[in-house]
Amino acid sequence: MHCKKETLWGWILVSPLALGLTVWVAFPLGVAISTSLFKWNMISKPIFVGLQNYSFMLFGDHLFWQALKVTLVFTLTSVPLQMLLAFAAALLLNTQVRGMGVFRTIFYLPALIPIMVSTALWMFLYNPQYGLFNLILDNLGLPTLQWLLDSATVIPSLIIMSLWSIGNVVIIFLAGLQGIPKELEEACIIDGGNYWQRMRAVILPQMSPIIFYNLVMGIIGGLQTFTQPYIMTNGGPSNASLTLMLHLYKQAFNFSKMGYANALAVVLLLMTIAVSLLVFRSSRSWVYYEGDRK
Amino acid sequence: MRRTALAICTALLAIGMATGIYAENVKLTFMFWGSPAEKDAITKACKDFEGANPGIEVTPLYAVYSGAEYDAKMKAMSESDTLPDCGYFASETIYSYAANDFFLDLTPYVKADNMEKDYLPQAWIKFKGKIIGAYTAAEAEVMYYNKDTLTKAGVPLPPTDYKKAWTWDEAVKYWTKLTVDTKGKHPGESGFDPKHIACFGVNHEVWTGMLWPRLWGNGGDIFTADAKDVLIDKPETIKAIQQLADLRNKYMVMSSPGLTEYNSTGKTDPKVLLQNGQIAFYVSGAWELLDFAKMDFPLGVGALPISKKPAQVYISGVNVVFNKTKHPAEAWKLQKWMMDPSKTTELYSGGLWMPTKSSWYTDKADLAKWLENPAHPKGFKEAVVDSMAVARNEPLNIKNSNQIISEYLNPELDKVWQGKDTAENAMKRAAAAIRKSGLLQGLWN
Repeated sequence: MHCKKETLWGWILVSPLALGLTVWVAFPLGVAISTSLFKWNMISKPIFVGLQNYSFMLFGDHLFWQALKVTLVFTLTSVPLQMLLAFAAALLLNTQVRGMGVFRTIFYLPALIPIMVSTALWMFLYNPQYGLFNLILDNLGLPTLQWLLDSATVIPSLIIMSLWSIGNVVIIFLAGLQGIPKELEEACIIDGGNYWQRMRAVILPQMSPIIFYNLVMGIIGGLQTFTQPYIMTNGGPSNASLTLMLHLYKQAFNFSKMGYANALAVVLLLMTIAVSLLVFRSSRSWVYYEGDRK
Repeated sequence: MRRTALAICTALLAIGMATGIYAENVKLTFMFWGSPAEKDAITKACKDFEGANPGIEVTPLYAVYSGAEYDAKMKAMSESDTLPDCGYFASETIYSYAANDFFLDLTPYVKADNMEKDYLPQAWIKFKGKIIGAYTAAEAEVMYYNKDTLTKAGVPLPPTDYKKAWTWDEAVKYWTKLTVDTKGKHPGESGFDPKHIACFGVNHEVWTGMLWPRLWGNGGDIFTADAKDVLIDKPETIKAIQQLADLRNKYMVMSSPGLTEYNSTGKTDPKVLLQNGQIAFYVSGAWELLDFAKMDFPLGVGALPISKKPAQVYISGVNVVFNKTKHPAEAWKLQKWMMDPSKTTELYSGGLWMPTKSSWYTDKADLAKWLENPAHPKGFKEAVVDSMAVARNEPLNIKNSNQIISEYLNPELDKVWQGKDTAENAMKRAAAAIRKSGLLQGLWN
């Protein structure tokens, strides 16, 4: 009797997660995979086409490779930069300086701003004619840039914008830094180590699980970038900022190719899984978990 | 006890009657897009309709416009069965929806009310012989300018007769005179600093709808009449595109490239720039008048510059009644109301729309009703209203036109606007890619 009640309670408490994972994740995933085998414009009946969507993607769609390139360039540049900047910020925020609470708040504030607001703000900053950045460059005597309106500078512009909202990453790094046992750092100082030796021998290894976590989360987020290119440039100019998610969205909702869009989604999923697996594999050699046997 | 029972019965009876009356009310939803001023104007028109038609309630559903967005919203609503009864529809995709039976066949209603001949022939949208919608308005391309800016620069006001407009070269000459850097120099003069321009001669919108008059006026076009081929690599089309690109890169009378996909979020509003004297001329649609009317500066309207011949585009959203509506008769009444300039005169006199009813172009009294007001500057009639005589409809009837223009044409145009390539190379590349893509599948009708 006692066992049954416990089992029942177990199920009740697990049910939100179980429901969430099945109804809101597994089921739509299944629908997406099956829709990718059809041709469907949402206002008439779907037509079964097998793997035609996938072969078109690889051999017929010139924009798929462009989108892939843009997404990978953006992710592989912005994620390491974000992590570097966030780590440096966390180190700074971990020092004993008066008013540290204020500084921590200031660093975290951009992460709280809704994305529409920050995009509108950055569009103003990047305006080639009347924007703040060109005004500053001009006053310093440097050549002004077209920012979002030139296919050569649009991805760097988006990357710079992504560096502004690293607040979340900073907080996680900060928590990690504060979790490093003081004895280890003291032992290093006693042994005569300088700052860089302390970093290499104590801080980085202790922080490696957190760096690993942020890396994986950052890559997954980066591969799914949609909002900023959608609002700021709509993929332009000349598809220079067309990320995979934006390409997917356009195919689904602008050109009514739901089946093809689902195929793109499946491919994006496989890519994300592949990259994550790679990072997980590599983690064995550089991530150090306390309590693990060497 | 008896009195309480009587009171309760009376109350129930009253409630029953009230519910009964309200249950009679037909509820319609009307979906539309536009600027905040348009939102107010349409909401008022719906209220006026309710006043004139007791028993019908209209809920205006406002959606922010950007053709693609409206389309996406339509699809989501059709999937969840929450389509409105009637409203605007993005003209680029209307035929693909018509082919899937989305719209109510309005032919019997139009016949019963004997309306067809009262309206401009281009106003009715027909699919396979059935009327499935009507253009909301008859919008056109207009060249606006700030009178003060021209007077200060010593530039004559442009002609208003659309047949006697400036030539393109004359226009460029005047725009050059109006473009001035912070030190007062004009393009072409020694010491001119293109990085510090205080006033630009012109801002010409370059999204697809605004390209047509330039293309047609040069004798060029995008699609052939049967839509089985493209004409973008024709020398006339190339010349038209290069003309627009040269404004930026060669003559430096236009500022940095805007986006070819019309998206005003975050773009500095050219209307405000016009008011401030930061641009002298602005070429955009007639609908801008609604917002201009609220701005206090001497606005002028000139005839579009002519290359080979005067050209004009008939561009507009479409009003439709959806097939899934539960109240077709009432929805048609609302549709008719929105189409009748005498019932919704503010939408026309305010400057948002140009009428689709023929008499409002020819009858002096009707013309005065929507043109004689501060919102419409002098010269609007000769420059724009009369130019509708040469107006061609924006081509909607073409399969996959949306995808062809967005995925193949616009990216190449972006390169031309940025000055990274000539119009000739870009258009030849685009034409080759479009022909290979298999998207040229002809017309819908």
